[in-house]
Amino acid sequence: VSCSMAGEEGFFLEERRFKQHCEDLVKHSQQIGDGWEWRTSKDLGDGYLSKTHFQVRNRHIPPDLKEKNNDNTEQMLFAHVEEPWDDAQAAGAGGAEEVVRYEYHVLYSSSYQVPVLYFRACFLDGRPLTLDEIWGSVHASYQARLQEGPWDTITQQEHPILGQPFFVLHPCRTKEFISAVLSASQEHHRHTNFIILWLSTVGPVVGLNLPLSYAKLAPEQSTDADVA
Amino acid sequence: MTDDKDVLRDVWFGRIPTCFTLYQDEITEREADPYYLLLPRISYLTLVTDKVKKHFQKVMRQEEVSEIWFEYEGTPLKWHYPIGLLFDLHASNTALPWSITVHFKNFPEKDLLHCHSKDVIEAHFMACIKEADALKHKSQVINEMQKKDHKQLWMGLQNDKFEQFWAINRKLMEYPPEDNGFRYIPFRIYQ
Repeated sequence: VSCSMAGEEGFFLEERRFKQHCEDLVKHSQQIGDGWEWRTSKDLGDGYLSKTHFQVRNRHIPPDLKEKNNDNTEQMLFAHVEEPWDDAQAAGAGGAEEVVRYEYHVLYSSSYQVPVLYFRACFLDGRPLTLDEIWGSVHASYQARLQEGPWDTITQQEHPILGQPFFVLHPCRTKEFISAVLSASQEHHRHTNFIILWLSTVGPVVGLNLPLSYAKLAPEQSTDADVA
Repeated sequence: MTDDKDVLRDVWFGRIPTCFTLYQDEITEREADPYYLLLPRISYLTLVTDKVKKHFQKVMRQEEVSEIWFEYEGTPLKWHYPIGLLFDLHASNTALPWSITVHFKNFPEKDLLHCHSKDVIEAHFMACIKEADALKHKSQVINEMQKKDHKQLWMGLQNDKFEQFWAINRKLMEYPPEDNGFRYIPFRIYQ
């Protein structure tokens, strides 16, 4: 399966702009306590966005109901801690509830000139999720696309900065569905934060959601030259 | 490119004599002899070691065997790096044969990518090819190819077929003079 890219006019993001938009995202995240931070590598000049959160996974509930938003996670966690001795409850309708720790990184790909989403997930005992488990937890709306070409969508790769195994959402797909949206916004000279636009589109595929307040974000006083 | 065919063939047919030894803590029903193999520099460990796996599995019980992984002097070897690169990085100053230790347990999750099937290797290889073409030709050459061409590239590598591989790869290595050559030359530096 090849990635179709409608020429260079498709979505591409300069690295400088990538960093700026990430910075704006982090600022807003700090205001609302959404947990994003910018990390830099000591050896390299490169940096990346990072966020960790916990999700409750339930194998017996269909994928689109599995996902809980951040507000509910704490409630869910404590609700189950309260009743550890009740076997009937534990084996009941809730099924095998497990807490998964997700770590998301947003890096810049110089080759494709787009942001790329890396992530890893493990259970609380440290056991990492397998690729099959990751594919299984992709949101129901995207399952059809994933089945078509799983190897083109999410695979395990080496993190370019940390050198450790991470799962990656392939950049090819980014250009596919972002181009149309972005050219429309550029036509209207809207000052768009590309990272927020991109992340709000691809994040949900892998369990990452952005609260709506990010949509109100506008880049700090960019000149017309930046938008063009 | 035809002038360079000798060089291309030398690169393709480069081999590293290797001695595979089973990790001493693996549980076996009888002693495991080491296994010797000439490894192609341009290929990947998990693609060319089926015989190694079979050889050691013969002396082990089924329940003792899970995903194979390789280690050199305590360092897990990243199968997704080409064999020649692994050798140059870890063992270039040592005497041949290259001594690699084989493991079937305690897969180092934090260090190595999983490789449960050949599909994983193919996906990785093709991703590298695509990224390189993004730099060389803005992905135009790789995207204009049909699925069967991609397959031929992969099968050429998997089956060690130089001609089959280069029939397709030469298109990825062409740069029209009117475009002033490749947009960017892709290379990776490891240390």
